[in-house]
Amino acid sequence: MEQTTTDHDTGGIGRRQLLSAVGSSAVAAALAGCSTLLSDGETADQSEQSGGEISDEPIQAGLLTFTRGAPGVLGIQAQRGAELAVQRINEAGGIGGQREIELDVVNEGSNPLDSYNQFIEEGKEVTFGPISSGTHSQIAPEVEKNEVINVSTDGTVTTLYEETVPDPTYSFRFQNYDIMEVVTMAREAVERIGADNISTVAGVNPGYSFGEDEMRVFTQAIQRLTDAEIVYEGFPELGASDMANHITSINNEEPDVTFSSLWGGDVTTFVRQANANDMFENTTVFGTTLYSAAGDVPGDALAGTDIYSGSRNYYWGLPAPGNWQPGRELFDAATQQEGVTVPTAHYMSGYGAVTAWATAVEKAIDLLGTYPTQEQIAQVLEGHGFFTPAGYHNIAEDHQGASNSFAGQMVYDDDLGAARLEDVNTYAATETAPPPGVTGSDWLDSWSA
Amino acid sequence: MPERVDRDGTPAYRFLGVEVTRREAAFLVLGILFLFVIPDIASLSDSLQLSVIHQGLLFGFAAVGLNLLLRHTKLTSFGHAAFFGTGAYATAVLARYAGVQSVGLLLLGAIAAATVMAAIIGVLSLRHTGLYFALLTLAFGQLLYAIALGQSALGGSDGLPIRPGPANQPLLFGTAFSPDVYQVLTYYLTVVVILIGLFVMYRITQSPFRNALDAIGQERTRARFIGLPVRRYVWAAFVISGIYGGVAGGLYAVVRQYVRPEGTLFFLRSGDILFMAILGGFRTLVGPLIGGVVLVFLQDVGQDVTQYYEFLTGVVLLILVYGFPRGIVGSLRSGGIVNTRLSELRREPSVLSTWSRNAVQSIERKVAESLTSLRIILFGVD
Repeated sequence: MEQTTTDHDTGGIGRRQLLSAVGSSAVAAALAGCSTLLSDGETADQSEQSGGEISDEPIQAGLLTFTRGAPGVLGIQAQRGAELAVQRINEAGGIGGQREIELDVVNEGSNPLDSYNQFIEEGKEVTFGPISSGTHSQIAPEVEKNEVINVSTDGTVTTLYEETVPDPTYSFRFQNYDIMEVVTMAREAVERIGADNISTVAGVNPGYSFGEDEMRVFTQAIQRLTDAEIVYEGFPELGASDMANHITSINNEEPDVTFSSLWGGDVTTFVRQANANDMFENTTVFGTTLYSAAGDVPGDALAGTDIYSGSRNYYWGLPAPGNWQPGRELFDAATQQEGVTVPTAHYMSGYGAVTAWATAVEKAIDLLGTYPTQEQIAQVLEGHGFFTPAGYHNIAEDHQGASNSFAGQMVYDDDLGAARLEDVNTYAATETAPPPGVTGSDWLDSWSA
Repeated sequence: MPERVDRDGTPAYRFLGVEVTRREAAFLVLGILFLFVIPDIASLSDSLQLSVIHQGLLFGFAAVGLNLLLRHTKLTSFGHAAFFGTGAYATAVLARYAGVQSVGLLLLGAIAAATVMAAIIGVLSLRHTGLYFALLTLAFGQLLYAIALGQSALGGSDGLPIRPGPANQPLLFGTAFSPDVYQVLTYYLTVVVILIGLFVMYRITQSPFRNALDAIGQERTRARFIGLPVRRYVWAAFVISGIYGGVAGGLYAVVRQYVRPEGTLFFLRSGDILFMAILGGFRTLVGPLIGGVVLVFLQDVGQDVTQYYEFLTGVVLLILVYGFPRGIVGSLRSGGIVNTRLSELRREPSVLSTWSRNAVQSIERKVAESLTSLRIILFGVD
């Protein structure tokens, strides 16, 4: 595609400013979604690279994600995101202008630990993933022992860096974690309805640890922000075909807010049955991961609903610096890929995890003039900031990634043929995450009512 | 030292109550050696993973325990994962809440917990036999699964780590090892435990206790009439079988340093363990162990080959069940189907055509039977 670049449609960013902003390398620019701003065929200034010091051996990387079944709804998004990031790195000449990445994807099925160990045995230089919180708790200590960096795509369990690996060296997490997405939705509820108008809250969350944790944190957060009482808590099994009893209870209680962390196919089931029973006349639903079903939930199910969903750290088209929309460009690239109707936050999980690592390695090469060791990359990743089409991200000293999070009303878009968010609010990480070194629950307890 | 004895005219050796002919002794020594060199073999090949074989051996060991019930008392338990999971969760609870670091103590805890659990479940489910017993064991297994899933103290669906103390891992000989060394050392520990377990099981199968169990399995009423304490004996067998499950579960948890409900307590796990015993040959001592390795290996390799790996394992298992009705080990024995067929083939190679003709005929017969059944189902008998 021929594209002429003027200051007007880059929001006033020229090539030089752009390169210095994103870390002065072709890889960083490509990953930030700025490749269109670089003139054709031009990569970063190779003379600055100490190419002679770096081998041109491809980098072997592994990604652990769900490629099948119900969790595949999230897992394949992460896989495609990681694959696109790798493709962009390789098209920009590889890491350090020398080393392309070869990504090996393995299903995070029944034995994720074995799959992870196989990555290590095969001598992978970096691993990405996993999706599930349980898996992440399981492999994070192994990551520390093996001393090979893992940048996790999800596995957003709150206790990971509080209890499981309290002082990590090689384990990093790119995606906003559970407490951040829940606090986002608590703030969103207050934003949309007003704290004075929230006196009763219900919850319908998946019946396993993740859903129970989400509900507990939401309760804690909303009761700090409002005087609400919890009137109903339901925990349907994953893949439940009938949510009637939860919907009936909510219709009886008529809570001001119904919180839900359902995801994937469960969202469609719940929304369809809730709509059929006129539940949205009695409550407004606020959900953390409802939008993960964007490509799955049909238009007739969403018609006349009252749903606000978060989208963790990515919503295409946002942020829009000037008239230039890297997120929209990513949307177009993503929908060309197999199995992606709409790229959701889990797409960014994969894309961003690869980006975090790749931009850190580039920075390390710049500093050292040679290819860095695992320990050196880990040191650079601490406090590392970088761009993706979702905006600016930072990996804090506690190894937890921090990004803006997005929330808006979930509506069906006929032109898109899928759900989208309307009237999107953006929340900065400072509003949704505890400062490094403070546990989530201590932070929530410290809020002044 | 082994002493020479005479067994029906052939010289044999007796050692610690195990009596073997020279040929059997050679097999035994080779088998033990093979178990010990598996880590070296696995390091040579990418497709052969030590952790997969290790896991197969652990589930197989649980199947060896289950086999005591299956082979002698003719009781089919669908809840053996309950003891596997109890052993696994006991180590996790001890590591997390009591800070126990030593692998030995963790395993003792697993044995104690599994013993208590088997004693309780045994008392409650052994009032019944046959289908009702099978369903009761299934129900108790699922009850434990539900408890593990629902208790946040047990980690819910996320499970619990077994990473006690400042070393953040269980200690062997009071020392923390790097992951790769730890994996090999725990494998050798497993081999030692399995050898001891097989020896104990062998002694049980050579004892009057086994004869009593056989009598009970054949005809309960008669066994009671000749004065055997039936209920007590079956309960003892049930507890022993549960202990094997608990030891396997405890080792599994210590090896993986993490335990989750679906890997250890879910009823499909019970089905796996039962299947391993049948697959390997439940009329043999080491069959269940081999069955465990084969099944886990099939599941693991199948995942790399095809998306429909369950289908693949299903087909392989069907072939095994139809072709080798006595299981893998049972069919390989002298007098088993494989040896008989091989000697026939050596005597008369043309026998191949007879076999293929027989196979075609039997397939035709089965198809005709199925069609008849289908017609009866659809149109009734007329």
